Amino acid sequence: MPLALPDLQAAFAAHVANDVAGGDRADLAAAVVGDTISAEARLRVYRHHVAHSLSAALAATFPTVQALVGEGFFRGLAQSFVAEALPAQPVLAEYGADFPAFVGAYEPGRALPYLADIARLDWALNVAFHSPKGRRLAAADLAGIAAERLPSLSVALSAGAALIRSRYPIHRIWHASQPDTSANTVDLDAGQADLLVLRRSDDAAFIVLDAGEVAFMVSLAAGTSLEVAAGQAASAEPAFDLSAAFARLLSLEAFAALQ
Amino acid sequence: MAQVAGIGLRAPHLAEIARDRPATGCLEIHAENYLGASPARQAIERLRESYVFSVHAVGLSLGSADGLDADHLARVAALVKRLEPAYVSDHLSWSVHGGRYFNDLLPLPYTEEALDVVVRNVGRLQEALGRQVSIENPSCYLAFAHSTLTEPEFLAELARRSGCGLLLDINNIVVTAHNLRLDPRNWLSGLPDEAITEYHLAGHAVNDCDGEPMLIDDHGSRVGPEAWTLFDTALRRYGVRPTLIEWDTDIPALSVLLDEAAKADRAIRSASPDAARAA
Repeated sequence: MPLALPDLQAAFAAHVANDVAGGDRADLAAAVVGDTISAEARLRVYRHHVAHSLSAALAATFPTVQALVGEGFFRGLAQSFVAEALPAQPVLAEYGADFPAFVGAYEPGRALPYLADIARLDWALNVAFHSPKGRRLAAADLAGIAAERLPSLSVALSAGAALIRSRYPIHRIWHASQPDTSANTVDLDAGQADLLVLRRSDDAAFIVLDAGEVAFMVSLAAGTSLEVAAGQAASAEPAFDLSAAFARLLSLEAFAALQ
Repeated sequence: MAQVAGIGLRAPHLAEIARDRPATGCLEIHAENYLGASPARQAIERLRESYVFSVHAVGLSLGSADGLDADHLARVAALVKRLEPAYVSDHLSWSVHGGRYFNDLLPLPYTEEALDVVVRNVGRLQEALGRQVSIENPSCYLAFAHSTLTEPEFLAELARRSGCGLLLDINNIVVTAHNLRLDPRNWLSGLPDEAITEYHLAGHAVNDCDGEPMLIDDHGSRVGPEAWTLFDTALRRYGVRPTLIEWDTDIPALSVLLDEAAKADRAIRSASPDAARAA
């Protein structure tokens, strides 16, 4: 009795996903025509392709991670991740949200403690790139608001924006890992990095924030008013200049239009 | 003559195409790469004034016995509505099971049971899009012992029952025929020619499998000689259709793709000078 299609697909899925629980079912191999190339070898072509193509998809989403560790190491890392977590849907740019955490826990990557933060940066750039641009807050939008109302205003980060904070100078590491870079060494003791990833008109990019700016943005991202955020920023950086920082962030289109 | 053959549009070439707008036939995009409102999709939308588009999906999993993923179907439908492409297609295969996506064109047994499933899923897709879609023959590395139809018979019956078009991937016929010990000309001989809507051309790799060569559909090189010969056979038998060069791994300079498309145009002109003029 041949396998019914639902059973055949369940067995085939378990095979290509390398499920230990499902195992390789003898009835699957028996359903496949073998000749001088065995049924098992033919089935393995698919299993190999699934692992290979998904690890290539992760390389496309995490190019800086791959540039840092090399293709061979990355393949092992990516295939370990793929074995643990296949995509839940067919849009590959949306696959890998859990990859940075996986990188952080990946034992063979221990020698590169900043690697998980680089993965978070790659992921944030990928998310920003695929985000709708959305309406942005412009200086003109604020002109019509009474001055006494401004301090109590809450402004949200623009669509696709993300704050990435690291103990390591990941912005320098990122730049040194680009294909066209001239830098090739980075001092890991050069200090932390507070980055703001933004969806721009034609791409996604990050800028470096100073201590006051990052405190300001972290506070705003949490939903506080401008006044509270400015207070947080001043605590973090006594020299924080609210109007200069706000003007800079506004010109970078870092905020969403007011609702 | 206007170009008939176009190319699969790949991300590394997008800026160059947007800037230079090279003359070519249809441009094909992979639906799953443009579902988000990225700058890349905005660039595609701006290119609509210069090019005819084909939206080629790879993840609808039309062979899934469990049916289609409603969310993914809705996203693809929204893209198609936005771009209004001339052609929409996906494959005779499945790639989703139990909430997991395998990113591969997994094979179906060619049985009445599977035919019912694919006819139902293609019907649902066409209903959601409000238009005909074309179904592409996949590259196969195995055959199921309980298949009762050949792949062309299955495709012909699918087209008859669902009203879908057929996208003939010439390289996939070469790959499947080699791997499953079939005659590619025989494979190509019995299709309903009114159902055929498009041709695909691509290169393949040769891997070792149990000590024997297995052709692998990697879309990573120029179109091979067997595929050019079979393309010529298809043109003479079924006539001219919009034709696309696909290249997905080790993507070369845009000029190489355009060169392959020009080569396809020469094959079209020499096989069918009248039809090529009309196209």
